Amino acid sequence: MNFDLTEEQQLIQDSVARFVSDNYDLKSRLTLAGSKQGFSDDHWNTMAKLGWLGMPFAEADGGFGGDQIDTMLMMEQFGRGLVLEPFFASVVLGGGALKRSTNADLKTEYLPGVLDGSRKLTLAYAEEQARFDLHDVTTSAREDGENYIVNGQKSMVASAAAADQMVVSVRTGGGQIDEAGITLLLIDTDSEGVSMDNFPTVDGLQASEVTFKDVRVPQSRALTAPGDSFELLRAVANDGILALSAEAVGAMEILYKDTVDYTQEREQFDHPLSAFQVLQHCMVEMFMEYEQCKSMLYRATLETAQQGLGAQRIVHALKHLIGKQGIFIGENAVQLHGGMGVTEELRIGHYFKRLLVIDAQFGNSDYHLQQFAA
Amino acid sequence: MDIQLSADDLAFQEEVKAFLAENAYPAGEDYNKWRLDWFDKAGEKGGWDIPKWPIEFGGPGWSPTQHYIWEKETAVAATPWDMPFGLSMLAPILMGYGNEQQQQRFLPDIRARKVNWCQGYSEPGAGSDLASLKTKAELSEDGTYYTVNGTKIWTTMAHIADWIFCLTRTDDSGIKQQGITFLLFPMKQDGIEVKPIITLGGTHSVNMVHINDIKVPVENRIGEEDKGWTYAKGLLQHERTGLAGISRSLVALENLKAQASTVTRGNGTLMDDPAFRGKLAELEVDLLAVEFTELRSLASASTGSEPGPESSILKLKGTEIQQRIQKLTVEAGGIYSAAWGAKPVGHSFARGGMGGYLSSRSYTIYGGASEVQKDVIAKNVLGIKRSSK
Repeated sequence: MNFDLTEEQQLIQDSVARFVSDNYDLKSRLTLAGSKQGFSDDHWNTMAKLGWLGMPFAEADGGFGGDQIDTMLMMEQFGRGLVLEPFFASVVLGGGALKRSTNADLKTEYLPGVLDGSRKLTLAYAEEQARFDLHDVTTSAREDGENYIVNGQKSMVASAAAADQMVVSVRTGGGQIDEAGITLLLIDTDSEGVSMDNFPTVDGLQASEVTFKDVRVPQSRALTAPGDSFELLRAVANDGILALSAEAVGAMEILYKDTVDYTQEREQFDHPLSAFQVLQHCMVEMFMEYEQCKSMLYRATLETAQQGLGAQRIVHALKHLIGKQGIFIGENAVQLHGGMGVTEELRIGHYFKRLLVIDAQFGNSDYHLQQFAA
Repeated sequence: MDIQLSADDLAFQEEVKAFLAENAYPAGEDYNKWRLDWFDKAGEKGGWDIPKWPIEFGGPGWSPTQHYIWEKETAVAATPWDMPFGLSMLAPILMGYGNEQQQQRFLPDIRARKVNWCQGYSEPGAGSDLASLKTKAELSEDGTYYTVNGTKIWTTMAHIADWIFCLTRTDDSGIKQQGITFLLFPMKQDGIEVKPIITLGGTHSVNMVHINDIKVPVENRIGEEDKGWTYAKGLLQHERTGLAGISRSLVALENLKAQASTVTRGNGTLMDDPAFRGKLAELEVDLLAVEFTELRSLASASTGSEPGPESSILKLKGTEIQQRIQKLTVEAGGIYSAAWGAKPVGHSFARGGMGGYLSSRSYTIYGGASEVQKDVIAKNVLGIKRSSK
């Protein structure tokens, strides 16, 4: 039993933490979020140069041979600064799908660019009628000679405007909610017939509604054998949940600590707010739930790194807890900051908004509790 | 005890419904013209434009049941936009503590919705602890005017207000509740600077107001110098009971159910989701109870007795329920609640849900934070004499 970081892991954590504290004060972040692209090419190049983009890839694929634990360490630090660069979309989701692909040619052609930052990917999996079910897929791909013809729509595709390719779940067989018959295809975002409606999200990131109209995609762009991709998609979604949860834990830490600081500075009724027992107890609750989330994050990450999909139930437990307690901590941070808490001027509101969005991504708190209980 | 509506009440209800139907906003028409006409017509009905004002000031003199009916019916109908600051907050103070000249000068314009007011209470250093306010008002040597200096914060609609009612410090030698003076002055004058504060929902409704060396004639003082806290305290109670918004929450809950039934999930809709249904049901139970808490409070107010202990929980319960409805709306929107662009994405109701939820976080902060409300209840209602910090 050992929760200590290796020397290498400690170095990574320190270097990401330094990057965040050097570049991600509130004002810089807001300026960047308000720019057209929504993130910085310079930061992206820094991430590539420092090897962060290649961290969770096998050495055989040109990576550093890291796993979900390394991603967790980075995402937790990203969460402390609400980092905007599309690490999550490109490395965790798109890259995470591609590295698991059984299509060796596809990996050889596209993975190196993901690792060196010259290529950005994303994952398009959500559909409106599906709510949070990954296997509810109506976007269709029908065979036409060497190609698939893809039709349908994907929702809330993270950082799609910046992506060169997206990994898209399509139905090549089976009924609307069957796990069998789902295929993941790597589709160029500039393919004819792909149209994107780009918009900001409440947390300052960007997403797109993507429509496919008779899009021709070579069958060689399939990540697995036809109809066989669901397990891969599930594994990527689990990686996504672990990464988002790590980011959330980083954000929660800022929220509870900022609240502890603020209540000791702000005086009302001739005492600092922190002198009031009802507020002290509230902050103790926030702290306890943060620690519980962190424990569950470690548990789910370590078990997934060892057992893969065998840790599914703990991943559900994690996402339930993160969604519920992230909002609990966010709401109370705002409440204890009083009027200042509801303004855009303090950073806590921005961390709270990110936690709200994280709850909705890859299934909300209720959804995962039900999956856990099932 | 009887909750049956009498024949007269039923007739009144029909009359209200008919009035609201006849005067509904005709799409495409000039909104402002319709708005002012609406209040004129409500006035012609006998004070329906000022339901809560007493008869001697032109109010309709309704029974609690009639108020209840009005609240219910206006919550479903589209009534014109209105601001509470002059109408519900300042007017009762003018009626209670203003002199006749002040009443004649200010009340008609408030009633006609001609003059917009804002409330100058909170300051950067005086939020929950309002009585520690520092905005200074100094009486001139000849005793004809005050010179006012200071900063107010969270001033809702200050950017469109014509006038402000403002708590100022005229004496800081005694306990802080003494030495506060209640002044009225115009907003559109040199020396007043309004700075917007953008809130989490991305909207601008509150402001910081800097007041620099402005002169306020003594005729604009309500009541006596140094006694303003007494007048304001009554107003705070008024503000707090008005914030419960129960009729609106009942309507919002029905909307939410309709919205959730459009969200598909597996072979059914979100309304088949046991967790979501459970939360809706708990909310509805609380709302049904608080609706009667409000009725009990209305009934005791109409007999002229002091508001009972039940009225003290209305703001707490009412705002908490509003927040829960907003939160469930965000949950119902699923991932689409995260979209923040100009166009709706996914479920049509999801756009605006997040903004509403984020705004609702201030409901348990403004008008007396919930923690302070609970202190007040512990002291005044439960009679707990020594509370710990």
